[in-house]
Amino acid sequence: MDMAIKTFNLTKKYGTKIGCAEICLRVPRGQIFGFLGPNGAGKSTLVKMLVGLLFPTSGKALLLDRPLGDTGVRARIGFLPENFRYHDWLTGQQLLEFHASLYGLSGTEKKRRVGEVLELVGLAGRERQKIHTYSKGMRQRAGLACALLPDPDLLFLDEPTSALDPIGRRDVREILVSLRASGKTIFLNSHLLSEVELICDAVAFIRQGKIIRQGSLEDLQTGDITVEMKVGNLTREMVNTLSSLARSLEVRENVLMARVKREEDIPRLAEAVVTGGGDLFEMNRKRSTLEEMFIRTTGGGEEIC
Amino acid sequence: MLTMIGITFREGLNRKVLLISLVLAAIFLGLYGTGVHYAAKSFNESPNPMLASVVYPQLLSFGLYFGGFIVSFLAIFSTVGAISSEIETGIIQAIITKPLRRRDYVLGKFLGLGLFLALYSAVFFTVIALIINLKTGLVLEGQWKALGLFALQPVVLLAITLYGSVVFPTIANGVVMFMLYAVAIIGGMVEQIGWLINNAGLQQAGIVTSLVMPVDSLYRKIVHLLLSPADNPLNALQQMGPFGSMAEPSVWMVVYALLYVVFFTGLAVYSFNRKDI
Repeated sequence: MDMAIKTFNLTKKYGTKIGCAEICLRVPRGQIFGFLGPNGAGKSTLVKMLVGLLFPTSGKALLLDRPLGDTGVRARIGFLPENFRYHDWLTGQQLLEFHASLYGLSGTEKKRRVGEVLELVGLAGRERQKIHTYSKGMRQRAGLACALLPDPDLLFLDEPTSALDPIGRRDVREILVSLRASGKTIFLNSHLLSEVELICDAVAFIRQGKIIRQGSLEDLQTGDITVEMKVGNLTREMVNTLSSLARSLEVRENVLMARVKREEDIPRLAEAVVTGGGDLFEMNRKRSTLEEMFIRTTGGGEEIC
Repeated sequence: MLTMIGITFREGLNRKVLLISLVLAAIFLGLYGTGVHYAAKSFNESPNPMLASVVYPQLLSFGLYFGGFIVSFLAIFSTVGAISSEIETGIIQAIITKPLRRRDYVLGKFLGLGLFLALYSAVFFTVIALIINLKTGLVLEGQWKALGLFALQPVVLLAITLYGSVVFPTIANGVVMFMLYAVAIIGGMVEQIGWLINNAGLQQAGIVTSLVMPVDSLYRKIVHLLLSPADNPLNALQQMGPFGSMAEPSVWMVVYALLYVVFFTGLAVYSFNRKDI
């Protein structure tokens, strides 16, 4: 598979403190990749190394098949930092023109791209306002517009919707999905797991500077299947039978939560209830949410290195 | 790099420190012009050519000395956070991740600010020279060379302050640079006293401080260029006092100042090329 990002034992140390350790990551082209972990786990350190703000202590990485530090490849990369601060004495138009010039755009191409991204992020008509008069959400949109200026093949977004209202978040999701449809790769660093779950193809979890799990969202979510059942005439024998079928069973009055390993185990649960003399009122297969997976995988809470 | 030069120059024009410097400059030049006007009026009413030929050069030195303060104030304040404040606020993150070499980022800052400061200094020098020339009729020798050196003063401060902005936080850099500037000013005065009382120790102390921060010796060179025609018998009197120049700094001091600029700008590029943001 063609990869947009490949890292080989990428490590960053600050003296004796570890920022990231031996990160080996593969991000396929044309996907939205979610990078998840608690605060202080090393997410920003990795992103900063990939975009050239930090120098790795050891290891290497390839972005669009070019090594880290290659200035030329940056013309094909967009980056929205978490702390989206810009020259606030400029107008939106001037800010975008400045960033377009940094990308090497000029003349009609610059004018065309500035107009396109203003339209895309919903700032058209507000481009003559100074940045310091923008709301936080508008500034984040302006930051996203700057990142989109070169029509990048690879886009790094660090918490891209943190300042947006629900409509703004939906707009950004739609932009990201349409970028993926046109073959772009998006590396998404976000705490908003519900959003990651909605749009990401694959995710990686980082804890204490190390990748502890990565894979496609589908594969990771099929690791466990939770089945919720509402049962009448529940007996001890029935609970014992269900416990032997499930990896774990939680009983709250007449509601049972059974976690099974395989899909084939689901009808057996129903059979066990019916043959045990119980009444099965309701049975729902619940996918493991990303939030549950996140807490299970990372242990939750903040990392204190 | 041109993009960085452009944005830095425009930023210089937009900063509050420029407005403050313009207000200070207007107040200073207003007071200075008034002072020179009344001094010239007084000499016109009661002519005393001997005294006038000592007082007018002293007025010029005074104007250039305090003009240098204002220009230096602007140079330090506009450069002190040129890079560090962009790191502290995070503005830099969206800039150096673009296809822009780190070297070009630093050199763009240097050239943008340098152009802005050199222009400001040149205008300031020209206004002082015009006030003196129009009000007193004093003919200034070597004024183009002097103008160049006056514009070089803030560029010297710019180079070292830009380096400081790479390695220090903004406030620490401001403190360090003002201390260095103060060292240069005090060292310059100590050296003048050394020449006046013929004390080699004080003279050496002044030379050492000029090597640490060559701004004051550039000022002394400017005063010599403007006021020391070889056949002037009153030269010693004109150059007396804290604003005069009892001994002319050699041309090598100017070369040293230029090398100082190149060295610290190069050091800023070297340090920034290895800096984690």
